[in-house]
Amino acid sequence: MLLAIDVGNTHTVFGLYAGDQLRHHWRLETDRGRTVDEYGVLLRHLFAGVGSPMIDGIAVSSVVPPTTQVVESWCQTYLGVAPLIVGPGVRTGMPILYDDPQQVGSDRVANAVAAYELTRDATIVVDCGTATKLEYVTQKGEYIGGVIAPGLGIASDALFERAARLYRVELARPKHVVGRNTVQTIQSGLIYGYVSLIDGLVLRMQKEIGMRARVIATGGFATLLAPESDTIDEVAEFLTLDGLRLIYDRNSGQ
Amino acid sequence: MSATVLLAIDVSNTQTVLGVYEGKMLRQHWRLQTHSARTADEYGVLVGSLLAGAGNPVVGGIAVSSSVPPMTQVIETLCRRYMGVAPMFVGPGIRTGMPILYDKPQEVSADRIVNAIAAYERSHAATIVVDCSTATIFDYVSDKGEYVGGVIAPGLGIASDALFERTAKLYRVELVKPKHVIGRNTVHAIQSGLIYGYVSLVDGLVTRIQRETRAKARVIATGGFAPLLAPESETIEEVDEFLTLDGLRLIYERNTQE
Repeated sequence: MLLAIDVGNTHTVFGLYAGDQLRHHWRLETDRGRTVDEYGVLLRHLFAGVGSPMIDGIAVSSVVPPTTQVVESWCQTYLGVAPLIVGPGVRTGMPILYDDPQQVGSDRVANAVAAYELTRDATIVVDCGTATKLEYVTQKGEYIGGVIAPGLGIASDALFERAARLYRVELARPKHVVGRNTVQTIQSGLIYGYVSLIDGLVLRMQKEIGMRARVIATGGFATLLAPESDTIDEVAEFLTLDGLRLIYDRNSGQ
Repeated sequence: MSATVLLAIDVSNTQTVLGVYEGKMLRQHWRLQTHSARTADEYGVLVGSLLAGAGNPVVGGIAVSSSVPPMTQVIETLCRRYMGVAPMFVGPGIRTGMPILYDKPQEVSADRIVNAIAAYERSHAATIVVDCSTATIFDYVSDKGEYVGGVIAPGLGIASDALFERTAKLYRVELVKPKHVIGRNTVHAIQSGLIYGYVSLVDGLVTRIQRETRAKARVIATGGFAPLLAPESETIEEVDEFLTLDGLRLIYERNTQE
């Protein structure tokens, strides 16, 4: 089986693929202090729960450099497999038209590759994770660039840490936009505020490129925000893992 | 400046703004860091020196709005000891002249009421106030001048700080509008997300409030980030940097003139 690992700033997602089918997936906290042996115990346990499958390939995307090294040595030590770490020098099959292609985070490239594989058309990806990242892929499948905004989770944490009288609320959609108590007022600002941020950025991107590109959302907050959005066409929860699988295939199948 | 003046003090989470009013005219204004560990004596030196620079006007009254509870005692002591005036804090028991239709009226922070009063005084029509500060706060005032409620979202400054503090590879950028929405490098991508992202957040919430209230309410923006965002916004009609100070003056007048 292929193991795809997406190391994000908040969570690390592991996915096990048999061919192009995602069979199992797990989410762990990205804790920079966690050791190779701790990963070893955790994952051996999780894998045992699904029959300890044979893993013969690993693809990794990481936006947290210190964790990249830990994951790499865990792959070598505990699975005996050298992982493919997406980065400069790895074939993605997608021309990167960024000013400096090496600067694009591997998660953004993986998302773009997976989204274009789904649409084969001009596409905007919205990844609602620690940061809210939007990417634009042309009709011909070229990665052009995108937008990076603060994510819903970290922005709401900041609100409670930095504003003296506000407190943490449940992330749920309130009945009304205009709140009549503090909880509703904050829920409205977080949910409708973030949906507005995404919809506004998508519309501005579409205006700039002069066409209505298809919009695919992914990331931890996508399922919460998509039902209220006017621009998101589809949610693909495992887009990044899928992109890693595609990139792995493109690098091993020749 | 020898006449008696009103000192309006707006204590918010990041900064405290002081305004000196002679009648309805704002004569001077200053901005200090809000630091709740700072003592009344330290603020006394700062404010005393600033007032001296303005010709030592006689402070006849002080109106305060504070959204930072630990600062209340500091300001109280500052006013009594260094200006010999008991300050009027906007809060329960103070006449605002505006019905508050919030579930629990005492839950609405003072600065929001003060902004609503100043904005309604201008328009005497349905109004949305957008305060772009530590938090981005929206307040809706009906055409009859009732405070109905609002929206609170994270502010541009704290959200962008969070982006750099909580991600491993992203770094602080200058807050300016990039040439394109779609960034082709990381600096432009982040600038686009902060500027166009926040303008979208503001415009989207204003539009949703207008749709829900079925009122084409006037939109007035204030707060530190308002001048940066307003030029790109499709909904903000006016920016008034001193809306909160003006509201404090109005409330002071309503509580002292009879």
